[in-house]
Amino acid sequence: MTLFDRVFSGNDAVYGLTEGAINDAISKYGEDKAVSFPDTAYSLPCYYSVTGTKVTTLKELKDALGVVKSLMTRDHQLNDAFMSGVATALCAEFIEVLKYIDGQVPYELPIYGHLADAVIRELGVPLVTGDIPGVAVILGSAPSVEDAVALVKSYQAQGILVTLVGGVIDQVMEAGMNTGANVRVIPLGKDVTAVIHVVSVALRAALIFGNVKPGDAATLMDYTMKRVPAFVNAFKPLDDVIVACGAGAIALGFPVITNETENIFRVPKSLIVQEDVSKFNATSLEARDIKIKITNVDIPVAFASAFEGEIIRRKDMQVEFDGSRVDCAELVHTVDASEIEDHKITLIGPDLDEMADGSKNSIAYVVKVAGKKMQPDFEPVIERKFHNYINCIEGVYHTGQRDMQRIRVSHAAFNAGFRAKHIGEVLYTQVKNEFDAVVDKCEVVIYTDPAECTRIRHEVAIPIFNKRDDRLANLTDESVEVYYSCILCQAFSPSHVCVVTPERLGLCGAVSWLDAKATNELDPTGPCQVITKERPIDENLGSYEDVDEAVKKFSQGALEHVTLYSIMQDPMTSCGCFECICGIEPFSNGVVIANREYAGMTPLGMTFPEMASMTGGGVQTPGFMGHGKHFIASKKFMKAEGGVERIVWMPKELKETVAERLNKTAKDLYGIDNFTDMIGDETIATDPEELVGFLTEKGHPALGLDPMM
Amino acid sequence: MPFNQKPQKFNAKINTVKIGTGDKAIEIGGESSFPFYSFDAPVPVTQKVGIEITDGGLEAMPECIRAYYDGASSMGDIARKAASFEGVDFLALLLDGGDPNGANKSTEELIAIVKEVAEAVDLPLVVEGCKNVEKDAELLPKVAEALQGRNVLVMSEKEENYKAIGAAAGLAYDQIVGAESAVDINLAKQLNVITTQLGVNGAKVVMNVGTAAVGYGYEYVVSTMDRIKGAALGQNDNMLQMPIITPVASETWGVKEASASEADMPEWGPVEERGIDMEVSTAAADLAAGSDAVILRHPKSVETISRLIQALA
Repeated sequence: MTLFDRVFSGNDAVYGLTEGAINDAISKYGEDKAVSFPDTAYSLPCYYSVTGTKVTTLKELKDALGVVKSLMTRDHQLNDAFMSGVATALCAEFIEVLKYIDGQVPYELPIYGHLADAVIRELGVPLVTGDIPGVAVILGSAPSVEDAVALVKSYQAQGILVTLVGGVIDQVMEAGMNTGANVRVIPLGKDVTAVIHVVSVALRAALIFGNVKPGDAATLMDYTMKRVPAFVNAFKPLDDVIVACGAGAIALGFPVITNETENIFRVPKSLIVQEDVSKFNATSLEARDIKIKITNVDIPVAFASAFEGEIIRRKDMQVEFDGSRVDCAELVHTVDASEIEDHKITLIGPDLDEMADGSKNSIAYVVKVAGKKMQPDFEPVIERKFHNYINCIEGVYHTGQRDMQRIRVSHAAFNAGFRAKHIGEVLYTQVKNEFDAVVDKCEVVIYTDPAECTRIRHEVAIPIFNKRDDRLANLTDESVEVYYSCILCQAFSPSHVCVVTPERLGLCGAVSWLDAKATNELDPTGPCQVITKERPIDENLGSYEDVDEAVKKFSQGALEHVTLYSIMQDPMTSCGCFECICGIEPFSNGVVIANREYAGMTPLGMTFPEMASMTGGGVQTPGFMGHGKHFIASKKFMKAEGGVERIVWMPKELKETVAERLNKTAKDLYGIDNFTDMIGDETIATDPEELVGFLTEKGHPALGLDPMM
Repeated sequence: MPFNQKPQKFNAKINTVKIGTGDKAIEIGGESSFPFYSFDAPVPVTQKVGIEITDGGLEAMPECIRAYYDGASSMGDIARKAASFEGVDFLALLLDGGDPNGANKSTEELIAIVKEVAEAVDLPLVVEGCKNVEKDAELLPKVAEALQGRNVLVMSEKEENYKAIGAAAGLAYDQIVGAESAVDINLAKQLNVITTQLGVNGAKVVMNVGTAAVGYGYEYVVSTMDRIKGAALGQNDNMLQMPIITPVASETWGVKEASASEADMPEWGPVEERGIDMEVSTAAADLAAGSDAVILRHPKSVETISRLIQALA
């Protein structure tokens, strides 16, 4: 027998029962007898949601059954199975409503049966907010009472709303479990048809919270699939009626997880066989894509940003890990979801209590993450937060990154019970909480065994770091499809918009293209938005219609045109938090760059603050531009005016910082060796004429270029 | 040379939002011109003025305001009295006693007050939270539930708790959502975006884009409101076309100009006049910058601002 046959046969059986029940009711009460569920404005809720027609009397119920019959097509297409599933559910609703006829009270607490609209409005809010992360529908009898209780409790602990149908109700009663809406365990009824009462909740939620129009079945099913995080756990044996109900659940987007292996057909993501009942929880959550919010970090000391600045002195220190002396590493590594187990924390090597007081040790922690939306480009973004996470632990401090981190654990934290695994606990919790948009599963491995640390550092971490650096170095404006806007600073610079490209990071120096990309992914309505680059106007200037449109939109109309590569024509604006400013120096045809830290005079006759006053506030001042330090060595640095060979002066300290990369760029672009030696600084000249003398002596290329204005 | 008037025409307008039910219901928004620029385009509805009372009742009022509530003994009395003053378009109830760092009144206690006030008056109601985001997330959904059918404006929906308040007020109980952000056009827009993504109808959202008392960094408020109206009308940005309501009183009555006693500051003049002056000057500036409604406490301020609006309409 195929799965289709089982669904159809279950559907036919339920239809037969329903028809008989309605006919019996009509002969007993007459056609005009009223039928309704109590305390709902949507009677009958499921039928009304799907068809848009309200049913109030037995006659109308009989007519409705005719409509249901029309859903029961028998071609062997997927849609036939789904529609037969829906038909089965509607029949179940009819059977259930007949139980309420003539003011009967078919269910008594602790068994709920039909749930009132008020309950849905109340449950709907936490469902929307994610405080109830999911709805479990448990159907049938678990292999044992213990299994039933363990499963229900596991969902309860996660805040998931549990509804019970069938034998499992007796099992939790036998165990003496507390049930009720207040503890989020709701027994619906012992007949399989009682499952309709949770379907009714899902469909009414779509009407109330989703503004879905009754009768718009396609939108309805789209809503339940995307917004109602329900799933079904069905215990064996599954008869055809349950299989048909299951088809209805799947039609609404609710996966069915079962331990039945006889005569069952696996459907990926929809009908899942999990023989081990203790794994129902994990399998269900993964199938329905439910993420559990973690509210507290399970460590023996406090965790708060108040401890971020805490310094652990040598005499207060229990143990130290120091990447500058021994092999250490910290790493985020993207893996496939099947390779890891969520929240598993492993320690390889001695724990803190096996290390001598005051000793220096190796440590390496690898945070393995998996997620449908995870990209290796986000790894460094997550990794960079480790410093902040570990520092927030009371009595632990952290500096550095990659393989140069240094961690100290205080005596007080150690005595309170802090051990190596707690570092893993903190990393796990924080990564899951803060990066839940991209991280679905996370596992942490902590190495303290020195040989393992050496292996991880040199064979795993460093090759990955190198790969990342290569990727960054190879990222060019031409090699990517999109740029990003950044309007983080608009709170105080209302019309400024940064256009962040791989070769031009934000002028604050803190937002690279990868950061902007990650920010966009993590917070899709946030400050970094995608800017396409499909309609170039002038590639040399770096002007695009798309960029102009974006800038106009994000500056609320204050800016109309921005070029990416020119300092003279429509230069990019600055907020006020630029690391550096470059300004045109007319005597030498070049530009002078000053960094924020530089307090002295420049050959322009202006100090940094004076230059800043001309540049900030989101205004375009041709000839002046704010930018990040990293941008100086970019091949796109004022490319339209000739590039870095225009740089004639920088403060000595800044020159030293950028020398290596700038020399390489000048070599690549113009074949000039040791270009920075040709650039003046405050020890050489702060007077324009002296500067020109120096440049002439060095043969600086800017002197031979066309004037910029 | 003759004066040639060139009206500034916008092909966009601010949403019109109705608050309350029945004869006393009010509408705010609807304009397609800058504030009071009735020479550019007809202004369909005038700005509205609300009077604010708090769950603290008479004890929480400054002495000069308490005098106007003479004879009121219950929250219902206070509400009736507040509703009777000249120029009052709506009643605002501030539940600041719910703040866990303050009086920390329970949700049940506050809901009882909300119900008492709601039963006492038929004016449109605006309910403001206690400013603590966790408490508001618990309290305001209950407010929305308790006032079903009254079409009230539930304020204090912030980025941190927008789901709970937005879902309850905007979806479950069909009230109006007051989205609150802190003096930043992008944050205001982002909150509107995520609130509507939740499923809340954008036409049932009102913004509180933040305010300050005049002289207290107030130029940021002007700039923010001005730019919001500019983007809403000039660029037809429908995520900024929600009308703006500004709770003025909770800012102005706390500053030293309004609170310092005459004994401490004899040269500043009578404390009551100073309080009214701060409230009136802030409210007038808010209206001129783009607020469609303001919330005030002193009956004299309400009367003054109401007359200002009528005179400029």
